[in-house]
Amino acid sequence: MKATPKRQPVITLKDVSKLYGFGGATTLALDEINLEIEPGEFMAVMGPSGSGKSTLMNIIGLLDRPTHGTYTLGNRAVARLRPNQRAKARRDRIGFIFQSFSLLPRLNVLENVALPLAYKGVPLTRRLKRAGIMLEQVGLSDREYFMPRQLSGGQIQRVAIARALINDPSIIIADEPTGNLDSSNSRVVMELLSEVHKSGNTILLVTHNPELTRYANRVVYMHDGSIVHDERTPIGEVPRLARRAMDLFPRKTEEDDLAGVSALMRTIPDKPAGLKKRRKAKRRKPATKKQTARSKH
Amino acid sequence: MFGGNVKMALMALRTSKGRSLLTMFGVIIGIVSVVTTVSLGEGIKQQIVGQINRLGSDLITVRPGDIITRDLKGNITKINAINGFGFSSGSLSQSDLTTIQTTPGVQEAVPISLVSGSVRANGVEYSNDTIIGTNQDLPDIIKQNLAFGAFFSKAEARQQVVVIGQNVATQLFGEQAPIGMTLTIRGQDFVVRGVFNRFTTSPLPLGPDFNNSIFIPYQTALADTNANSQLVQVLVKPNNPNATNATIASLNSRLFAAHGQQNDFTVLKQDENLAVTNDILNLFTAFVAGIGAISLLVGGIGIVNIMLVAVTERTREIGIRKAVGATNRQILGQFLIEATVLSLVGGIIGIVLSFVIEILIRLLSDMQPVITWQIVLLATGVALIVGIIFGITPAIKAARKDPIDALRYE
Repeated sequence: MKATPKRQPVITLKDVSKLYGFGGATTLALDEINLEIEPGEFMAVMGPSGSGKSTLMNIIGLLDRPTHGTYTLGNRAVARLRPNQRAKARRDRIGFIFQSFSLLPRLNVLENVALPLAYKGVPLTRRLKRAGIMLEQVGLSDREYFMPRQLSGGQIQRVAIARALINDPSIIIADEPTGNLDSSNSRVVMELLSEVHKSGNTILLVTHNPELTRYANRVVYMHDGSIVHDERTPIGEVPRLARRAMDLFPRKTEEDDLAGVSALMRTIPDKPAGLKKRRKAKRRKPATKKQTARSKH
Repeated sequence: MFGGNVKMALMALRTSKGRSLLTMFGVIIGIVSVVTTVSLGEGIKQQIVGQINRLGSDLITVRPGDIITRDLKGNITKINAINGFGFSSGSLSQSDLTTIQTTPGVQEAVPISLVSGSVRANGVEYSNDTIIGTNQDLPDIIKQNLAFGAFFSKAEARQQVVVIGQNVATQLFGEQAPIGMTLTIRGQDFVVRGVFNRFTTSPLPLGPDFNNSIFIPYQTALADTNANSQLVQVLVKPNNPNATNATIASLNSRLFAAHGQQNDFTVLKQDENLAVTNDILNLFTAFVAGIGAISLLVGGIGIVNIMLVAVTERTREIGIRKAVGATNRQILGQFLIEATVLSLVGGIIGIVLSFVIEILIRLLSDMQPVITWQIVLLATGVALIVGIIFGITPAIKAARKDPIDALRYE
């Protein structure tokens, strides 16, 4: 029985685990994660603090290596790359947008955007020209020679988006890109990401804000290092689970978001049956690993 | 990328000017001391070469003390720099002068002896003086003419007459030609017979400035000091310039016999004299330059320190750079270039300061330091190497930072 023809996934994680520390102090940050991301997906990752979202993003973003499992980026197995090869793959395939302080304070906006090209060895004039084009795309061509400290939070994130896009990467990883922004700036940044998505980019968005899942076409919920729920949703709609978090804890602050997500995770039993089965099968294996880790305690 | 790194490094220097300058101080002081010392040594060497050219290669010098060791063929095998440093004295006496003068092949033998004592004229004391006891052949052997008057003659060998350098004339008498005027040495009145032309270099290696010197007849000097005047050198001119080696051999054997088979004197040709002086100067220069090198070491440690601080301060920046694809080597390069630029800028400031100091030394003293392009190149190279050696540890630390930890750092 052959599955319906599927697009070749851009990211394939197979049984990916990440352990920190060793001996009695071992922590399991990721627990045999299996995940496929297709090109052009806008995937939001939700989960309480410590659920393994950042670790997952670090591994997908090639900032970290999984302890076990395989990771295929495009057609290339990248889980065991050496640091320098990882740096180059990161440079060419991945764009990062961080929550804060994402620009180098001593470079101007144009130079910040051009930075990834510098590490690629692109000549100065060419990279500045390209950076200019990217800035135009994010609507900041009049801020080229500003220093980061002269920009607003929203503008900084738009510059960061321009920088993330400059190498034409396969994936853009946005780790709480609106975490430090007010709602109007958040909207501007999210609309921009949405446009980037429409032009065919794959975007992974880590967020605590259920409202932002509206921009995604897939939402993944994480808890204790596992993916506990994976839901596809039409763009423009807040998926059912996320909406519940919003209802439980109407958003006031980021803490409320966090609390909402945590509360949400407690109500997860009514997850889809198919997923439940998969999870059960998966649980059996890592349970032994977990037990060994715990028995060492 | 290299140009970008240099630009970034200069930017980093500018953003923390005070801190960078303080860090560079060690390098600046080190470079200044090394360049100044070497340039002083170089200046003296050039003076000596000029002097050798002036005096002619056939001049023979007899000096007290055992300065060199020769092999059987007469070539110098070893230079005892400590004995040769400055003027040794004590082992050459008045009778040695007679021995030298009567040695076959010797045309002229001119004693150079130092007399201690103060010089006064018209109630003014001359503090910068060197009183030299010598004989009538001095102007001929050092090839220096007189500007005014005449040098004392053989007939005046026991008289209270004096020939002075130009500085003495202007400072003691306030005029250029004080012929016939009187000055007092050790309480005795002397009549000024002549004034030397201005000496451009000292005729003797490491010797006193003859423009500040007062020349009296050797016999008079002996009489005035109860024969205590120290004979520091005898300049010998051979009859035949081509028979210099033979003359040296006979001088050596006769003095050896006269000194009771003791090798406590040294007979040198001009080129050997140069070699001995160079050797002494090199030792001295290396010693002082070594002290300068210590401050370079301290400067280097300052660079390590400040770069380690910079790496910690800029952890977040390192994280971002790695996230956008910088390899460890590129991060290493960036911080290494920054340390090198810091050191190199310090070195360049040091070199510029050395030129200023050179001019000041020339203006304020009789020394003529020379900064050659080799010294400048050496100093630049040293600054570069200091930057690389002391920048490598912080740069490795930066390169090895884990990107995740670095990104988390705030």
